[in-house]
Amino acid sequence: MVPVILGVYTIVFMIIHFIPGDPVDLILGETARPSDREFLRQELGLDKPVLDQYVSSMLRAARGDMGRSLHTNQPVLTTILKRVPATVELTIGAMIVAVLIALPLGIIAALKQYSYFDNGSMFFALLGISMPNFWLGPLLIILFSIKLGWFPVSGRGGIEYLILPAITLGTALAAILTRMIRSSLLEVKKEDYITFARAKGLREVLVIGKHALSNALIPVVTIMGLQFGALLSGSIITETIFSWPGIGRLTIQAIQTRDYPLVQGCVLVLALSYVLINFLTDLVYGFIDPRIRYE
Amino acid sequence: MGRKLQKIQPVWFVFFIFFLLLSCSKGDMGSALVVGVETNPTNLDPRLAVDIASLQVTDIVYNRLVKKDRHSNIVPDLAEKWEMPDDTTYVFHLRKGVKFHDGTPLTADDVKYTFDSIRDPSLKSPKRSSTSPIKEIRVIDKHTISFVLKRPFAPFLSNMIQGIVPMHIAKDKKNNLSRNPVGTGPYKLSKWEFDQKLELAANEDYFEGRPRLDRVVYKIIPDQTVRLLELEKGSVHLIQNGISPDVISRLEQNPKLKLIKETGVNYSYIGFNLEDSILKNKKVRHAIAHAINREDIIKNIQKGLAIPATGLLSPSHWAYEPKVRKFPYDPKKAKRLLDEAGYPDPDGDGPKPRFAIRYKTSQNQVRKRIAEVIQEQLIQVGIKVEMRSYEWGTFFSDIRSGNFQMYTLTWVGVTDPDIYYYIFYSGSVPPKGANRGRYSNKALDRLIEQGRYTLDLEKRKRIYSEIQKIIAEDSPYISLWYLKNVAVMRKELKGFELYPGEQFYSLKDVFFDNQEGR
Repeated sequence: MVPVILGVYTIVFMIIHFIPGDPVDLILGETARPSDREFLRQELGLDKPVLDQYVSSMLRAARGDMGRSLHTNQPVLTTILKRVPATVELTIGAMIVAVLIALPLGIIAALKQYSYFDNGSMFFALLGISMPNFWLGPLLIILFSIKLGWFPVSGRGGIEYLILPAITLGTALAAILTRMIRSSLLEVKKEDYITFARAKGLREVLVIGKHALSNALIPVVTIMGLQFGALLSGSIITETIFSWPGIGRLTIQAIQTRDYPLVQGCVLVLALSYVLINFLTDLVYGFIDPRIRYE
Repeated sequence: MGRKLQKIQPVWFVFFIFFLLLSCSKGDMGSALVVGVETNPTNLDPRLAVDIASLQVTDIVYNRLVKKDRHSNIVPDLAEKWEMPDDTTYVFHLRKGVKFHDGTPLTADDVKYTFDSIRDPSLKSPKRSSTSPIKEIRVIDKHTISFVLKRPFAPFLSNMIQGIVPMHIAKDKKNNLSRNPVGTGPYKLSKWEFDQKLELAANEDYFEGRPRLDRVVYKIIPDQTVRLLELEKGSVHLIQNGISPDVISRLEQNPKLKLIKETGVNYSYIGFNLEDSILKNKKVRHAIAHAINREDIIKNIQKGLAIPATGLLSPSHWAYEPKVRKFPYDPKKAKRLLDEAGYPDPDGDGPKPRFAIRYKTSQNQVRKRIAEVIQEQLIQVGIKVEMRSYEWGTFFSDIRSGNFQMYTLTWVGVTDPDIYYYIFYSGSVPPKGANRGRYSNKALDRLIEQGRYTLDLEKRKRIYSEIQKIIAEDSPYISLWYLKNVAVMRKELKGFELYPGEQFYSLKDVFFDNQEGR
């Protein structure tokens, strides 16, 4: 885990410091004097060699101090932590939507292979993956917010604010999971222990629900874990469309304003959460599949 | 049973956390004027704020010594009158009975402190350079203050359009005006949810009378389409600018909305790098100017939301000079000028261009479309244009460092002609100013200096008339158009007025027609 975090931190540090764009220019605009620019550059430590800046920021980060935002002068960690609940809320909402759609669709598609339902599910899967968020989001808003008036247009508030962004973000994941559940269940259905379960006289609901599904879901859980990490960091478009105050949007704003400490902080938090979620996925894997145990 | 419980637990834990987070969510906004804005304000200290989002909040949280009205005339604000006993001294008489939001009376000490702190390098104020003409600030009594300048400086009053901060709060380093502003304005900050909304409450003791509305909410909605959908739904009541011209006609047809449009002072232009081997030739620049069909672009892309420009100052400006060299659309003349400049067409009507130029722009969608049209118009006269659009930080860095041949941008809020010093004076090359094209004309420099230090308005007008003629002839910029300011709002909203510099001053007077307090 540590080498991964270190690698991500170093690469991002180098990239953000070497792309064009001076944070001092972006903070002060063009009206400031050269002497004021230099003064600010020194205050922010940007006059030091890049390697010195890297070492000092790494040492601070190791102590849990991510510095202050160049633009707002607020502590980076506080700024990011304020966004975490919104991002986690949206991610969990998207996962719930994805599972609620994918589970029944995938199971029925597998049970009724080659039927109209199966073909329809696969078409939905293709559609879900192909539809970009920046198109789906406004469409949902026009239909459900403007025409029907069921949900607010944007912003974060009660559960009614979460529905449309969660559907927007969860649709592509639902499409992926539908296909995964279907193919995984089709594989498991052919196994000997399923034939044996039927031979024992168990009802089909138990055969599929207890014996087949629990084994079919093993690879699906892995995918869900990976996707959870991806959703945490990759929801920038959805966050922008729905004015959702998450970490993705914060990261993009930080990059656009060359707010170096904030970019570093956001990337560090996202990388940490990605690594942590992968680790938790591996642990859950062990719970679900008793054949897997970790030393 | 134990294994089943182990399988169930993680799922229930996730649901528990999820609903816990939901219970922490905020409720809805209640009744107020809701303004849809694109970006989050970053700094509410008027000594530090430079971005439009922050300025539109400080417009109504603070007052200034003086301000500009809708016709760009300097009018009283906190200073009810002023006089000049000599060419270098301004004496301002402050209104009595003005209080800050915490109830403390405003005095001349607050004004002195505001400007002294801007002059202090430790504040790192981007407005510090505007205070450089000041030699001394003297408090004469509680409501009278004088500014003594180093020499006569004509644009000085424009520099007094500066929000005044409370000394007793700003002096204490524990207070942070950037986050917790305290002004004398018609509204005061009540809540700020960063990147979601910023809520202002009416100042009951405002010296011009309590505003008609209880609250103003700036709702941050980055996506333009969603901003307009919020307006159509009624959860946003007002949007100013940032509207694609393509949707204007649709908005005009909506019976629940109304639009107001007025010619503003925002000046769009193409800038040249005069150190470039091709573009340093004036005939090439003139040829490019003649090759661009502005009227076509205004009609088809801007949808009439602009008027052709002839120079930096708009026709409504007191110093505007109409008799400058103009460049009407004339592709034949453009070709002839290019031939004379030493860039003949190598193959007549064939595909080979005379030369190629790189044209840089930002990622603004309308600017990109305009760039594509200009690209097409220039190839008709044999100039191949390679269009490059960049994210703002990179684009801004390139144009300041001179890493460009041609670029397009807009100067916003052009009111005082002293802007010529900032843009065209030879010593104003970045980082000292915004002479990004590295333009240099000694005769122009002398005139610009005269313009700064001449107080007589008629003389100043004559000086700037000459300046405008020289700039038009030399063409370091090609003038494109003056953009119209557009505001879209719910029909029941009354009292909103557009200001040339996009200020929100009129929000203190707006109200809903049926007084339902949405």
